[in-house]
Amino acid sequence: MRVPENWASVIRLASFTIADEARQKSFIAILIICALFILMVRGCYHGDYMMNGQVVDSAKIIIMVSKITFHIIAGGVLFLAALLSMRIFRRDRGDGTQSCILSKPVSRRQYVSGKILGLWVLLTAVMIVLHGIVFLITSVSANMVMPEFFSASIWCSLNVLFVVLTVLLLSMMMPDIAALLCVIGIGMIGVAADGVFAVRHSPIGQAMMQHDAPSDFSVWQIIYTVWPKLFGVQSFAASRIGAEGFGGPVFAVPILNVGIYCMIIGALLFWRFGKEDID
Amino acid sequence: MIELDAVTKKYGSLVAVDNVSFSVGAGECFALLGPNGAGKTTIVKLLLDFTRPTAGHLSLNGLSTTNAKSRAFVGYLPENHRIPTHLSGWQYLKRCAALLDIKGADADKQCQWAVTLTGMQGREHDKSGTYSKGMIQRFGLGAALIGRPKLLILDEPAAGLDPIGIRDIRRLLESLKKDGMTVFLNSHLLSEVEKICDNAAVIRRGRLMVRDKISSLVRDGDTLEDVFIRFVKEG
Repeated sequence: MRVPENWASVIRLASFTIADEARQKSFIAILIICALFILMVRGCYHGDYMMNGQVVDSAKIIIMVSKITFHIIAGGVLFLAALLSMRIFRRDRGDGTQSCILSKPVSRRQYVSGKILGLWVLLTAVMIVLHGIVFLITSVSANMVMPEFFSASIWCSLNVLFVVLTVLLLSMMMPDIAALLCVIGIGMIGVAADGVFAVRHSPIGQAMMQHDAPSDFSVWQIIYTVWPKLFGVQSFAASRIGAEGFGGPVFAVPILNVGIYCMIIGALLFWRFGKEDID
Repeated sequence: MIELDAVTKKYGSLVAVDNVSFSVGAGECFALLGPNGAGKTTIVKLLLDFTRPTAGHLSLNGLSTTNAKSRAFVGYLPENHRIPTHLSGWQYLKRCAALLDIKGADADKQCQWAVTLTGMQGREHDKSGTYSKGMIQRFGLGAALIGRPKLLILDEPAAGLDPIGIRDIRRLLESLKKDGMTVFLNSHLLSEVEKICDNAAVIRRGRLMVRDKISSLVRDGDTLEDVFIRFVKEG
């Protein structure tokens, strides 16, 4: 089967991006450290856990530990995504790659698409490998096979795409480190908004609010409604691990939210790069 | 082959290229001359769609420069050419071939041809971090020749080269010219330009001063250098 000409260039550029990023010593070092860290989690699956003098069901513990590890890996990969994406345009410009590529019959759209695709595929693969290690640990050590880890990993790749697009866009308008900090800020505010929302809707929160003047449209509520729901996507993905399943359309909201953000930021990125002067 | 029609490029209040029009025909060896800051590199960047004109229209091979396909048969060597330090010259050439959809044995053949042509045999598998400026320039020229382009755009190709390197490039350009390749040369080495090119244009402060045959510009025992200085100083 022959790949259409436009896509062939994008795939070629994506493969160059993967090769350039994956060969970096810092990238390999981070990957090894993450794998070793995950292997250390093995110990959590053994032993008896007591709560209020009662032995807790080991299956519940395994699922809980797996979910916590899942969240740590997904968050770590998002940070790695921001680190890799923040320098990519500047480095390509500095080492002459950008002018070399764009002097060939390659459009700016293809160049940017290749960079996005390369980073996305590489980081998703990293996330799947790391989640795969957890899958192997639970399968071998705890004798509990949870293939949902892989589908959950794929759902989390939407967050990776969001971070890659956002950092690439911001790195054209501000110093690299500022772009990195902005994306970390977006993530932190999202987590805080989700936290405030969860507390307000908990029985304790409801009881506390009965004494205060009700204000349905507080700042946090607005932020919770419109902010990129990165943690929401992660929670949705994590909900697939174990026997829990997912709770219908409510959980589709974060996917839709981040998906729409990806489309908007992607469009802005293509538009902005189209206006860039190439050196 | 190359068409510039009333092209203007402004950077804020600075006019880098001011209403420039000229054309370069197929098989022509053309030199764009001008002092530093005259707008030569801006014109090259406009031709490759690295920057967009404020006004006017440019085309390559009959296609607007905004169309990526217009660069299908263009080889380009930038001023201060660079190669990513983790790549060898060979890997760099292979990447350039891949970008032109040249694969497999054909790509190897083309890369070998470019290495031989630029005299870089024996060093092609070394990392580019070990190359001198002149060697990087030679690999850059080799990369520009991959795919045997119809049009070669060279921005200061002799930068960083020793006298032997400059002579080698001149000989190479002469042979490419004989093969019918169109060459657009941006250079300060006027003695070399005089030996290689048939036609030249002089620009000053973004304005086209003259565009003619070199044989018509250089008369009565003058050199191209005398002509250049006259146009640049007297306007």
